[in-house]
Amino acid sequence: MTVDNRLSKWVETYTLELYSWAYHKVSDSELAKDLVQDTFLAATEKVDGFKGESSPKTWLFSILNHKIIDHYRRKINQPVSIDNQSLSTFFDEGGSWISDKKPKNWHEDELNLLDDIDFQKILQKCMDALPENWNVCVKLKYLNEKSGEEICQELGIAPTNLWQIIHRAKVQLRECVENKWFKN
Amino acid sequence: MKNLMNILFLSCLKATELIEKKLLFKLSFSERVRLKMHKAMCDACTMYEKQSNVLDKALSDSEHKDEIAIDLSDFKKEIITKLEKSK
Repeated sequence: MTVDNRLSKWVETYTLELYSWAYHKVSDSELAKDLVQDTFLAATEKVDGFKGESSPKTWLFSILNHKIIDHYRRKINQPVSIDNQSLSTFFDEGGSWISDKKPKNWHEDELNLLDDIDFQKILQKCMDALPENWNVCVKLKYLNEKSGEEICQELGIAPTNLWQIIHRAKVQLRECVENKWFKN
Repeated sequence: MKNLMNILFLSCLKATELIEKKLLFKLSFSERVRLKMHKAMCDACTMYEKQSNVLDKALSDSEHKDEIAIDLSDFKKEIITKLEKSK
């Protein structure tokens, strides 16, 4: 049977954008392709219900984002545990910075950093080095600029859990970036 | 003395927690005040907040960066074939 005309047109027009987005989200090209393919399969099933209230692009992206979230939700191990051990390498018992873990002055212009490809690469490496569950929480935060409440809902975790995880992740991420970027 | 300071003006651990919480949720009035006072006295946490915001921006930016320059024409054909089969 032939595929709906609209769909084959959309595959032609939007595959690259959808794929690029998915790839940035999951950092794995095979997985990104699977997600895009699943998006079009789901679109085929639902296309009769698509009345064009939004643009096809917006509609396809919303399906893709659901697929990405599903992927992360399956990946996250419940319960999301928060250990205090990771923090004890940064803070002493009274909660003060351990002296050689104190954030140092980066002496660098923010805009320069954001534009620097090498900085982005290091950031990516440091992201990959985070424990899986933390990584998922951080990534979800930046997926479509989700609000804290939405992330909690999607992952089924309590708000306190979420910002404590993000806190641990960020403390570690910050140090990793500082070590790799500023000390070479 | 230090303990009392921590209760009034937060420890660095608590302060950095609130700095991250602030990026996700609204802080209460007392949280906002204590965080502000803490930062006024603590260079390390002030630095932390600045850098945390930079990382935040970098992470959101990296999501919107350029499309990937690869040839997806085979992949598109593959999708169409799959769609035909699924019908």
